[in-house]
Amino acid sequence: MKTLVLGIGNPILGDDGIGFYVAQELANKVKGEDVDVKDANTYGLNLLELLAGYDRVIIVDAIKTENGEAGRIYKLRPEDFTNIVHFATSLHDTNLATTIEIGKKLLAEQMPDEIVIFAVEVEEVIKFTEKMTEKVKETIPKVVNLVLGEIGST
Amino acid sequence: MKKITIDPITRLEGHGKIEIFLDEEGNVANAYLQIPELRGFEKFCEGRPVEELPRITPRICGVCPAAHHMASTKATDAVYHVDPPLAAKKLRELFYCAHMIHSHIAHFYVLAGPDFIPGYDAPPEERNILGLIKKVGLEIGGEVIKHRAYAQDIQATIGGKATHPVCGLPGGMSRVITEEERKDFEEKAKSFVEFGKFGLKLFDEQVLANKKYLDLITGDVYFMKSYYMGMVDGNNKVNFYDGDIRVVDEDGKEVAKFKPAQYLDYISERTEPWSYLKFPYLKKVGWRGMVEGKDSGVYRVNSLARLNVADGMATPLAQEAYEKFFATLGGKPVHATLAFHWARLIEILYAAERLLELAKDKEVTDTNIRTIPTAIPDEGVGVVEAPRGTLYHHYQTDERGIIQKVNLIVATGNNHAAMCMSVKKAAQAVIKKGEEISEPLLNMVEMAFRAYDPCMACATHSLPGQMPLEINIYDSDGNICQSLRR
Repeated sequence: MKTLVLGIGNPILGDDGIGFYVAQELANKVKGEDVDVKDANTYGLNLLELLAGYDRVIIVDAIKTENGEAGRIYKLRPEDFTNIVHFATSLHDTNLATTIEIGKKLLAEQMPDEIVIFAVEVEEVIKFTEKMTEKVKETIPKVVNLVLGEIGST
Repeated sequence: MKKITIDPITRLEGHGKIEIFLDEEGNVANAYLQIPELRGFEKFCEGRPVEELPRITPRICGVCPAAHHMASTKATDAVYHVDPPLAAKKLRELFYCAHMIHSHIAHFYVLAGPDFIPGYDAPPEERNILGLIKKVGLEIGGEVIKHRAYAQDIQATIGGKATHPVCGLPGGMSRVITEEERKDFEEKAKSFVEFGKFGLKLFDEQVLANKKYLDLITGDVYFMKSYYMGMVDGNNKVNFYDGDIRVVDEDGKEVAKFKPAQYLDYISERTEPWSYLKFPYLKKVGWRGMVEGKDSGVYRVNSLARLNVADGMATPLAQEAYEKFFATLGGKPVHATLAFHWARLIEILYAAERLLELAKDKEVTDTNIRTIPTAIPDEGVGVVEAPRGTLYHHYQTDERGIIQKVNLIVATGNNHAAMCMSVKKAAQAVIKKGEEISEPLLNMVEMAFRAYDPCMACATHSLPGQMPLEINIYDSDGNICQSLRR
């Protein structure tokens, strides 16, 4: 089974870098030909091009929810986003759920059977800085372990 | 860990916002478009070596990293007073054509297309890429995905990385391409040309052949006169990678043509208290507020502007399409805002044909791709046509090449005032007193600025990975009477 660990985030946009830094940590820890670790500062259709061809994908990303507590970690599945799948045309790209839906339609056999998302609640994501807030930074080793556990869980 | 269900309204920051104010009668008195902007980028760059900027600036946003990479690389050429070898320039342009194709495909087929196929008045649950695929067929959906992937492959091969290229260096490129890679590009380019032709045929059959859509494109709701700005080559043909900047007025007459380094003589920026994003305008015309007319310095960039400022396209099939475009829409310049979409499809075909020319040129495999800089660095400007319009990078360094000052005018910024005006005009046209303000009507307001393919430099890649938009309608007492979020 071919697995992709994908850290999504911008390393120069404060807490948004969480996915990027987790991917960096994991790149040194994950060994084996059947697991790739990548980082990407992108989304939407570009994401589809990255997911295609893997059996399983583990995504690490930043999330912002209403009244969310910074540093909180969520384990999500694409189904958790389905209430926004058929949302009308967005401003400039498709959201994750729509992207996966498009992938299933157009790239059926190339799409991963399983997608797991670890999302970290973030605080500062609109000011350019290489520093993450402490609460978010502290989650890096925890998320790394969660991903390692997930990789080993099959 | 708590399991939660994500709702689109849960993203609090980075909202695009349209605020519509009604008068006592219930007609639209005013409308504003607010674009969130990430802050502190210029400051972030200060104190860093200038040659790092081509790798840092693509991080501004996940949508057009290649445009920032190219503008930035060209600015570093200028800072070091170095002229790259011809092979490097060709390789950069080839890479850049792939980027334009990649970006324009997504905008037309995924974002703009659903307003025409299945249609702007279709229910929102069908008015998206999935609804479009349902109507035109899975096979075409597959072609869209395939050509996006081709464009991505070319960018990754030359750029060194799929989304954040690292190929540009002051004075040239970092890596040569092999004959085998060139052949592969040539095959992909042939396929792009066919796909480009297909896009225009689809637009012909599904949009232009439908009187309802043609009337909408040429009608008053989305009509706006303005100045236009774009890059042209030595023959005044559209060019994305290099050339002079040309500006025409609302009659299509050239009013300015300048070198990238002279941009500050032609563009000024206005700040407004209600917006972080500035409003660039033509310095010599002046700022008269967000109004139409020759004495208002508001100008537009992006696909329609590029076609309006140019005397034609440099490749044969795109030239044919260009001629049909102006013949159908009543001559030059075209002021129909929805025509940005058609112009974008013509540009896909041009980029495809140009890419094919470059891929056939064996010089792109030449190993002389770098001129090593020897001059003392000081100041430089780099400009490209980003998919969304003219993009300016301006750097000043000390004698060691350490950044002292950075100024960027981003593509969407150029269109800021025009987008606000288009939104207001559309809102005034579709929202009428006493009539229910329905979702399709609000979508027609959104279409006014979707035509500009705005890149709202926000943290859109945080989950749920969609730029939220909020539309608020206020009554004459300033109370919100209707609100819509997506």
